[in-house]
Amino acid sequence: MAQVSLRTAPRPLAPVPFNIPQAFKTTLENGLRVVIFEDSRLPLVSYRLAFMTGDADDPADSIGLTSAMASLLTEGTENYSSLALAEKIERLGAGLSASSSDDFTILSASTLALYNSEILGLLAEVVFKPTFPETELDLYRRNTVENLKFQRSQPNFLAGEQAARLIYGRHPYSRVSPKAADIEKLTQGKLAEIHRRHFVPNNGILIVVGDIDRESLMAEINEHFGDWQRHEVSHAKVASPVLREKNVLTIVDRPGSAQANIVLANLAIRRDDPDYFAVLVMNQVLGAGASSRVFMNLREEKGYTYGAYTRMDAKRNAGDFEATAEVRTAVTGDSLKEFFYELNRIRDEDVSEAELADAKNYLTGVFPLRAETQEGLTNLIVSQELYGLPDDYLQTYRDHVAAVSVADVRRVAKQNVHPEKIAIVIVGDAGEILPQAKDYASDIEIFDTDGIPKSVESYAAEDGDEAANFAGSWKLSLDFQGQKVPISLTLEQDGASITGKLETVLGNGEITAGKVRGNKLSATANTEIQGQNVDFVINGSLADGALNGTISAAIIPDSLTFTGDREG
Amino acid sequence: MSDKFNLSPLDIEQYTLKNGLRVVLNLDDSVPVVALAVYYDVGSRNEREGRTGFAHLFEHMMFQGSENVKKAEHFQYVMKAGGTMNGTTSSERTNYFETLPASELPLALWLESDRMRSLAVTQENLDNQRDAVKEEKRLRYDNQPYGQIFDLISEMIYKNFANSHSTIGSMDDLDDATVEDVQEFFRIYYAPNNAVLVLSGAFETETAKQLIETYFGDIPAQPLPPAIDVEEPREVAANYKEWEDKLAPFPAFLVGWKIPKRRSPEFNALYLAGKLLYDGESSRLYQKLVKGEESVMQLFGFTDERRGPSSIYVGAIPKPEKDLSKIRDIIMTEIKHIAEHGPTADEMQKLHNKLINDTVRLRQSSQSRAQNIAEYALYDGDPTLINTELETLMAVTPEQIRSAANEYLNSENRSLLDVVPAGKG
Repeated sequence: MAQVSLRTAPRPLAPVPFNIPQAFKTTLENGLRVVIFEDSRLPLVSYRLAFMTGDADDPADSIGLTSAMASLLTEGTENYSSLALAEKIERLGAGLSASSSDDFTILSASTLALYNSEILGLLAEVVFKPTFPETELDLYRRNTVENLKFQRSQPNFLAGEQAARLIYGRHPYSRVSPKAADIEKLTQGKLAEIHRRHFVPNNGILIVVGDIDRESLMAEINEHFGDWQRHEVSHAKVASPVLREKNVLTIVDRPGSAQANIVLANLAIRRDDPDYFAVLVMNQVLGAGASSRVFMNLREEKGYTYGAYTRMDAKRNAGDFEATAEVRTAVTGDSLKEFFYELNRIRDEDVSEAELADAKNYLTGVFPLRAETQEGLTNLIVSQELYGLPDDYLQTYRDHVAAVSVADVRRVAKQNVHPEKIAIVIVGDAGEILPQAKDYASDIEIFDTDGIPKSVESYAAEDGDEAANFAGSWKLSLDFQGQKVPISLTLEQDGASITGKLETVLGNGEITAGKVRGNKLSATANTEIQGQNVDFVINGSLADGALNGTISAAIIPDSLTFTGDREG
Repeated sequence: MSDKFNLSPLDIEQYTLKNGLRVVLNLDDSVPVVALAVYYDVGSRNEREGRTGFAHLFEHMMFQGSENVKKAEHFQYVMKAGGTMNGTTSSERTNYFETLPASELPLALWLESDRMRSLAVTQENLDNQRDAVKEEKRLRYDNQPYGQIFDLISEMIYKNFANSHSTIGSMDDLDDATVEDVQEFFRIYYAPNNAVLVLSGAFETETAKQLIETYFGDIPAQPLPPAIDVEEPREVAANYKEWEDKLAPFPAFLVGWKIPKRRSPEFNALYLAGKLLYDGESSRLYQKLVKGEESVMQLFGFTDERRGPSSIYVGAIPKPEKDLSKIRDIIMTEIKHIAEHGPTADEMQKLHNKLINDTVRLRQSSQSRAQNIAEYALYDGDPTLINTELETLMAVTPEQIRSAANEYLNSENRSLLDVVPAGKG
């Protein structure tokens, strides 16, 4: 072997071609499309039976119906109880489940090839003979309502909910989840009705990937699905969502949050858009990965966050572009500045050839990795078929990525990234966030975590007032369950910025990024108590030389009030 | 049926470089992808009191640059070549791995060899990564509901410090570490003769062997690391602790038992008993608690496989207002039932099909093959166990499962951790 230098990265070996054969396709007389992809690498078979109706097709008075129907398909049929079905499936070492998304309802099954006939029979059983038992529906209702409650404690959910509303308006894509009241209204009759209307062969596609004999499989498919009666499926006509005309700032107030969850979102391409690959590459340069621009800027250079990304969600009838990060509250404004810098830069300047090459190398390189497992390969085939992509989509995927040019990236950035027509959603402490973010939009709204609108003025009242002077040593008395506990604050002030320390009997904390607005002080003291880090959030106001306010922390159930004066 | 199931063995070739690096090649060119896994024989089990968290700190240090790969470049190189990578630390080992297009095999070998040969252990990197570990601890343990419960119950189950302390370690210990300590740790544990390298996927065997020799052949061997003792006393009494979790929205509990080492007949039997109890919707506890009683929101269980004494856990997050002790009684009743009557014939059939299914699925990705082979090579000195382990597990009898459940689970030898929410509303 020739002398190899260990000093520099080695050159790759000759590329190894990756050949994906084309799938076999046919349509039964009743309209059921069948796609079969023989994959004999291992004795496994995967099924997807997909229907072209999803959560977006829920009737307006029955939100959450499709999702409930899908979940309950495997909870009881004419021949099996929920338990008997789970037993039967797991005794084969197999899996069978169903779920819905905005656009589709998909039943998934996977099995060892030797139990192929059994699992296909069970798939047919849950498609044709679900009974939606009242007891199971009841359990579903109660569990889902608990989950919905839990979701509202998650900042990501709250941000996603507002972003979807702002992007999609009246379009059904604006609903990210049903409400508890919707769940309470679900009935057995409604589930059976939507099942009857949507589960028809001409609305479906059966995709099989695995170690099978095609002829005998087709015979079995005909036996189970051949007699299925077709009838027309109507999709509700809904107006396409439109790009907003100017920026909006929506804050979800979550008092005491240590972080601000930022989502910037605008309408973008649908999944079958011819620009899909150009947008994919553009998004890779801008923010899809940990070597993309926004990550390098907000995390690596500025250290504002653990991660900052952009994402394209291209669905069947519309899609969106999002930039997201969870940042320290004090750098919310700085983070927005960097986000907008990057969103503008990708539109206004050509990307470099090197950046383009890196993004394309990544996308073409990971493609075969995604096809390694049968599940991965199946998911690729499912997207091709459900979104109506060309038959050679998988075979030409890498060529399409490779063909994207610098000019393409710039063009699709201008069409899909809209820093002047974007929704800015931030979940966190509204009082802290508002002054930092308000200059990015002329329309501003604030909600609480239950989705109830709040008055913006109540958060902005002191804004613009001259910062009062908080500097000095404060002897304060904290009300702890009726007892007076002494604490002290030593503050230094530079304009509206506060630093200093908090001293308590439990431990002392550092204040590094406190803020003053008018006569209001807000600060977080990072304190070590018995080896644990605890953030105390301090909110105070100054009146007649006295400092009054509250202290809260995750470890104390309710915020504690304090009052006191400067020392000496 | 399942007894007659035949899976062709994986192609395994193993050899050792002159410097002691154990190499395993698993050729499978069905997809043009190659996976590399490097396993160092160092985990939290090697740490002594006052020096905890080192193994994990090192996992961070390994991404901070080496002689020819600058800080953070490792990741960039892999990304730009269209690959994925990571590193993890457990009680047993520290591993580093990447999956890349087959043509990028030289890059993967160069990256791994450069840091094995010449890691940059500097004061700046040390300070920097100490902070990163503290941030990680805040994010993943301190600031997560239920984030600390597994570390807490480990301390209850294990009496030997080598087993009981957490992988993330003590922040005070990390603060006390000097650059010299860390350099010494690297010299001892990150030596080629203390590691296993596994290559799985599409490659030409001769080319791969030459490349491995080129990149790793001249890294010097080191004296073997000090021997460790992970022995544990058999437990004789129940163990209880209440933990106030500031972030937990609901009460929860975790029950754990100390059991024999991985791959021992008793461990295998208990691993299967565990599957019957908590694995899948038809499992005994899921049907009793999530379905029947409707008293549990989340049910989970798993075995923690170690080369020394190991452990098995069952935990639950009950629905609001449910009686935790009643739920625990149901769990103990099911265990007692298995300990008295053993699994049914139907359950054995289910176990066998699950085992076959798990084994086949694990083979699908080159990275999961590489990691499994690396474990057998490092822990057992025999990478071909990947081809025979299914048979070993299939041979476990209902009576073995019954008697192991009776001996280890149906007893007072359990640790119980109650999680009490202590935050605001």
